Amino acid sequence: MKNIYILLPFVIGFSTVAKAQVDAVQKLDEVVISDTKLLDYANGIKIEILSDSIINNNATSLTGLLAFNSNLYFKENGFGMVSSPSFRGTNASQTAVVWNGININSQLNGQTDFNTINTSNYSSIAIRSGGGSVQYGSGSIGGSIHLNNNLSFNEHFETALRTGFGSFNSKNLGFNTAFGTKLYSGNVAVTYVDSDNDYKYLGTDQINENGAFNNLNLNANLGFYVSNKDIIKLYHQSYFGNRNFSGTLVGPSRSKYEDENFRTMLEWSRTSGQFSSKVKAVHLHELFKYFENKDKANFSLGSVNTLLVNHNFNVRFSDKIQFKTILEYSNTKGKGDSFKEPVRNAFSTTALLNHKLSNVIRYGINLRQDFITGGERPFVFSVDAGFDLFEHYQIQINGSKNYRIPTFNDLYWQPGGNLDLVPESSYQIDLGQNFSYPHLNVKLNGYYINTKDMIQWVPNNTDIWSPVNIGEVASYGAEVEVKSHYSINKHQLHFSGHYSYTVSEDLETNKQLIYVPFHKGNLNVAYGYKRFSMFYQHLFNGEVSIIGNSLSSYDFGNIGVSYVFNQNKKVNYTIDFKLNNLYNTYYENVALRPMPNRNFQIQTTIKF
Amino acid sequence: MKINKLLVLALLTSIFITSCSEDSDDNPVVPKGDYENGLIVSHEGNFGQGNASVSFVSDDFLTVENNVFSNVNGAPLGDTAQSITFSDDLAYIVLNVSNKIEVVNRYTFESVATINSGLVNPRYMTISNGKGYVTNWGDGGDSTDDFVAVIDLATNTVSNTIHVGEGPEYILEKGYMLYVSHKGGWGVNNIISVIDTTDNNVGTLEVNDAPGAMAFDSNGNLVVLCSGANQYWLTPAVETLASITRISTNNSAILDVMEFASGEHPSIMTHDDDELFYILNGEVYELEDSSDALPTTAILDVSSTSAYGISVEDDTLYVANSNFTEESDLLIYDLDSASLMETIELSIGAAKIYFN
Repeated sequence: MKNIYILLPFVIGFSTVAKAQVDAVQKLDEVVISDTKLLDYANGIKIEILSDSIINNNATSLTGLLAFNSNLYFKENGFGMVSSPSFRGTNASQTAVVWNGININSQLNGQTDFNTINTSNYSSIAIRSGGGSVQYGSGSIGGSIHLNNNLSFNEHFETALRTGFGSFNSKNLGFNTAFGTKLYSGNVAVTYVDSDNDYKYLGTDQINENGAFNNLNLNANLGFYVSNKDIIKLYHQSYFGNRNFSGTLVGPSRSKYEDENFRTMLEWSRTSGQFSSKVKAVHLHELFKYFENKDKANFSLGSVNTLLVNHNFNVRFSDKIQFKTILEYSNTKGKGDSFKEPVRNAFSTTALLNHKLSNVIRYGINLRQDFITGGERPFVFSVDAGFDLFEHYQIQINGSKNYRIPTFNDLYWQPGGNLDLVPESSYQIDLGQNFSYPHLNVKLNGYYINTKDMIQWVPNNTDIWSPVNIGEVASYGAEVEVKSHYSINKHQLHFSGHYSYTVSEDLETNKQLIYVPFHKGNLNVAYGYKRFSMFYQHLFNGEVSIIGNSLSSYDFGNIGVSYVFNQNKKVNYTIDFKLNNLYNTYYENVALRPMPNRNFQIQTTIKF
Repeated sequence: MKINKLLVLALLTSIFITSCSEDSDDNPVVPKGDYENGLIVSHEGNFGQGNASVSFVSDDFLTVENNVFSNVNGAPLGDTAQSITFSDDLAYIVLNVSNKIEVVNRYTFESVATINSGLVNPRYMTISNGKGYVTNWGDGGDSTDDFVAVIDLATNTVSNTIHVGEGPEYILEKGYMLYVSHKGGWGVNNIISVIDTTDNNVGTLEVNDAPGAMAFDSNGNLVVLCSGANQYWLTPAVETLASITRISTNNSAILDVMEFASGEHPSIMTHDDDELFYILNGEVYELEDSSDALPTTAILDVSSTSAYGISVEDDTLYVANSNFTEESDLLIYDLDSASLMETIELSIGAAKIYFN
């Protein structure tokens, strides 16, 4: 059945450690994800899915997870501070983050701060490489990151409680519970992270003085079969963050930043024979307060509320052809000290076709037309195809046109906002080869992305910085992804690695963009024996150019061990110990903002 | 209350902004080290990026050295070099975002001291009767915490503060009086503070909006360039007239107010001998100290440059043609023939030009 197909990647070759495998297999039946098009309409798209076992063995921030488990490159303004990716050489607002099928990039700056997402609250996280504007809208240029909460409609009741502490007075608490029957299903996860984050700047007598942070993430998801054809689902996420913003080696800081996000989605899906339809009503809220001086009451404020209604209708003409239409309307209202009260309405209509032409060839054709306040009407499309040429060899190819609309900051920021901006537009092609053997999966991809009308802030004729559509950038490169899994008797060995070579050139200057490394690689090795498991992970980040200078490359490693007490009993305990930055490497991924020295974390998990 | 604008944006996204600034003072030349007999150029660098620097160009233009401070001292200079003040053998480099002043020997650039306590968004410095005085915005979003820090030059520490109005910028001294132009920080202000250093009493004078660059003219008067407000992004837009205003240093009386036409907002000015030079819409104008009317014709067209700082000495005009993503240029013009003599490539974000 379809659901099993969806879940297959979760169990084949992707789990890092043995302990989660049994659970995963037992949960297989009747698992529902909200965003079915992620896998159903992606014949020629490279998608990598990180299962819960990988999520559990990595840092709880989305930055930490993806830095070691994907081709994405990250820059952070110090540990725990604002973090943004570069995906395939594109900029921070050209990667979409998609929460249960909904693009949640900020309407203010077009980005998602990857340090605000706690990964342990999600069932799976998928990395979809390449353009996805047809499916996921503005900003899906380099690729998109998908946060999925699955609902399991079977008898289950599982609860886990995690507590951890570590260097720099870091504490974390996590609680999650999942329950269900054949008729209803729910899960709730709460995580709290708190750290003084006052690490030493290696080789100096300075510490990270103003870096303390805490955040709370709450996810709650519910689903009911109201008839055997209809499911009502409710998804919710809340985030509350409170961070002091770290300074630099040469510039102290005493600022503070508070932000919050609420995301709620009510979904009704109905499946009847070959037809299925879904209606979604979504509310997204983002708010920030920036305090220049954390000891004073003055702050500047920005907030945005988005209401979105989405209908999608899927017809399965046969086993070989299916077709989906999506209609979406959104109303976005902002309010802030620097941009007054802008409003944006957007309507989009999308058509997706998926055809399995033969046992060898599958392809898709996808179109989308947007109508946006201000008269912009971006039209985008994509075509993709998969060729299962041999038993162990597959070719994937796709080409697409994608866009990014100007953000509220770009349009309305005072001073500087520019109402004459047009959306960035981007064309790309991507060719992938997949080799899959029982113990080994290898993916090789090459891509070319040309993005025009890039929105860049430059000083205007009154010396005020203002965004204009000037840049044209060509990004191209090659990616390798390798996964391997062996189990001999009770020994389990897992390996995964990524390497990317990325050229991202400003076509006017013919120079590599700042903060895009030519080389980036990572690898993970995990070993499990009965109740014991351990891992080592390594990251290599090549040199990057910055304005007028460059930042050195660095190597960075983490190691961890884990032991399960009372395995196979009703209540079991796991204790994890991790040593981060094993080699005590000094490194900066944003200039003059050193990252932490060697540090440890201990975590205990009780499951019942 | 005016609240942080671009700074927030810069912190939250990946764009960079720079502080604004204008011109400079001239200083006497005393040969004593590698960096004597030449120009010192301060480079703001990029706001928040910690790439401020100082470069040196010898008088014959044959020797050019970037990153002088870090070359000599083996450490980065800091973030956003706003201005340099010279006194005897010392140079005081005011670093806005670093909240510090690097004190160096002006001829060797060897570090002497760092003043890194008691300064909040420091801007400009002057020295009067053995004490240093530094304008500070305090928090940009707070209009009530602005001050002039008094520096004990023997210990290089802040010994006192003098509370002043919002956005203090340039500071000049004459006798026992200090003159502070209040451009307004993140907002717009329209006052000159007059501080009596014998008792630190502060008096204020109202001038046109956004007073910035100042100089003493050949008659001993204070000359102020007021850029006028130009907040076209507000609803309704706020625009007021720019002016060059002369103020008596005897009795603080306003002597001349030479207003620019509506829509004209000059912000770069320097003074040499008995002439004032300013840039308006990409052209250099010259105003005689004896004249009480603005010139109607320009003496030089520099509209192809991004002039960010100017200085004049001996009929030679030095222009920092600034670029904040790539190399900047120092352009050297002969004012007699109104022609470009030299173009010297300097590192990023060049701002102010001083004679050493």
